[in-house]
Amino acid sequence: MNFDFTPVWENIPTLLTGTGYTLLIALFAAIISLVGGLAVSLTTLYGKKIFSYPLRFFIWLFMGTPLLLQLYLLYFGLGQVGILIPALLTGILGLGIHYMAYNADIFRATILSIEKGQTEAARSLGFGRMQTLWFFIVPQAIFRALPQLGNNMIIMLKDTSVLSVIGVTELVLNAQFEIANTFRPFEFYISVAVIYYFLNLILETSLNLFEKKLEGRR
Amino acid sequence: MDVESEVGKNTSANLMLDIINVKKAFGDLEVLKGIDLQVTRGQIVSIIGSSGSGKSTLLRSINHLETIDDGEIWLDGMRVNQPDMKGLEFERHINSVRQNMGMVFQQFNLFPHLSTMDNVRLAPMKLKGMEKREATQYCMELLAKVGLEDKAETFPANLSGGQKQRVAIARALAMKPKVMLFDEATSALDPELVDEVNLVMKQLASEHMTMLIVTHEMNFASEVSDHVLFMDQGVVCEEGPPNQLFSNPKEERTRSFLKKHLQQN
Amino acid sequence: MDFDLMWQITPLLLEAAWITVTISVLAFILGLVVAITLVIMRSSAFRIIRWPARIYISVIRGTPFFVQLLIFYYGGSAFGINLEAYTAGLLAIGLNGGAYMSEAIRGSLIAVDKGQNEASRSLGFSRMQTMISVILPQAAGLMIRSLGVLGVIIIKGSSLVSIISVVELTYQSQRIISSTYKPFEVFAVSAAFYLILIYGVISFVDWLYNRYTRYLSH
Repeated sequence: MNFDFTPVWENIPTLLTGTGYTLLIALFAAIISLVGGLAVSLTTLYGKKIFSYPLRFFIWLFMGTPLLLQLYLLYFGLGQVGILIPALLTGILGLGIHYMAYNADIFRATILSIEKGQTEAARSLGFGRMQTLWFFIVPQAIFRALPQLGNNMIIMLKDTSVLSVIGVTELVLNAQFEIANTFRPFEFYISVAVIYYFLNLILETSLNLFEKKLEGRR
Repeated sequence: MDVESEVGKNTSANLMLDIINVKKAFGDLEVLKGIDLQVTRGQIVSIIGSSGSGKSTLLRSINHLETIDDGEIWLDGMRVNQPDMKGLEFERHINSVRQNMGMVFQQFNLFPHLSTMDNVRLAPMKLKGMEKREATQYCMELLAKVGLEDKAETFPANLSGGQKQRVAIARALAMKPKVMLFDEATSALDPELVDEVNLVMKQLASEHMTMLIVTHEMNFASEVSDHVLFMDQGVVCEEGPPNQLFSNPKEERTRSFLKKHLQQN
Repeated sequence: MDFDLMWQITPLLLEAAWITVTISVLAFILGLVVAITLVIMRSSAFRIIRWPARIYISVIRGTPFFVQLLIFYYGGSAFGINLEAYTAGLLAIGLNGGAYMSEAIRGSLIAVDKGQNEASRSLGFSRMQTMISVILPQAAGLMIRSLGVLGVIIIKGSSLVSIISVVELTYQSQRIISSTYKPFEVFAVSAAFYLILIYGVISFVDWLYNRYTRYLSH
């Protein structure tokens, strides 16, 4: 057994920078996936068929294929059509679109689970279709979907590690730079795992507290 | 302390259940503060009291679904609680003790993945090694006794509450228990379904089964019991024959409880 | 769309898809063994047996699978062990899957009503008899569903072993894209294979679930 963690200590700044990028990517991807997911789900349920069918196909396709394959499509595909964007952006987009599909699926299910009784109640009070949707259905759907959405965000944070494959700067990629110099893969990857473990713990705890707080307000 | 010498100490030919100074607390909350109770063979004892009085906990302690902190529980000369026994030895002991007791639950707890016949037949076959034919015939008789022989192949999901509880009674009876424990057997039933279950219980009583009945139904308790216990805040507040306790309670707490309850009925 | 190319690459991708299937199936089986072991460990009366299981599950679930894979493959050098890519991949997926599966199994067992255990024990059945005759039959339905979901996750997760050069579907896809510069065509064929696998598993699990619940109540 042959351990030496000194290279890790010496390169903490690189790892921290990587962590910073990881969090940044996760944040933007989360926003894209949540807002986009809601928009997609509403379109598939209430929009014109010409939009809703392709989007339903999109959800089905992106839930049925691995993230890595989708990243390759985006990475090579954008280059193919001549769009050149920095890897970071590709990563955020790829991750965001992947989880947009999952979130849209969750939103669809929760909206459908609320619809009937609430719609009847609101309409009998005299609210129109759009108003019913906006003031009654959507807020409740978001509330009901929170635990599952939170879960997805936790999974997504861990999935940022996959972006290293297409050269996106984040924790794993940075660790790999240093591994190439120091030849200490085990020590670095273990340290990376530890960092992820704590990030995960913080995120989970925050989400739990957030959910509890919301429960209290009801 | 071996079981044999303990047998000698507490057997009187008639004593079925002997509950001695039983105490139980859930964390800081004392639920049983020293209960003594003796039930003779064939005796019908009802336990009444408000929620939180400890009556359910007492009943569940008898077949060790709850572990008591202090005291002794004896079934027909056999000690039920064994604080010094551990692990596999205790498990074997308690399983065999429980085979001599039958419990009927408020929520029925029928096995939903088994038919009525299978619910009743499972224990005699698996625990007493009865052959399928013999067990089926025997259980059919039991089902007929509770009036449900035509529901033998029906599944619990398709039975009414009253029917479920009657099957639950048959299931418990199938093991030929020495005592039957009823934990608010009719509390979860719609009013019109209560009678069919009470009828079965009355018939059991007339056959001299030893029965311990925790109930909210004062009328039923006074009709069927030989002895009534009123529990309040973890102690036996008052006890006696039904005609005395219900019409002429000695304690103030008994009086106010009965007043509140009879008003509601 | 270059349909000719799509036609040409299909046999190649079919071979690779087969590798995806085998590694997923083997990893699933390994995962089940690990999961059952963990469930038994967690229900032990001894803390010294319970805790390692809990810690293991917590670590696996709290860190990215990709990082676990990298530790398995590259980290072995610190111990003087050098695992072959396929083996490393299989172990990583199986050990990862096992942690999640154990939670799924536990969850289904806990979901069975407490009264069932009480009724069974009151009749005098032992713990083992209760588990086998009363609890498991009722938990199995839920288990079939959860394990099915995890099977799908394993299939998607297998795409990551392409990074350590296991010649499965995603690896082959990336290679073909790199040499032909036709990402959309390759994605289309690859995606088709994944979709068939994944939705095939989902349909199978649904069918199994329906069969089982019908069998239970005739």
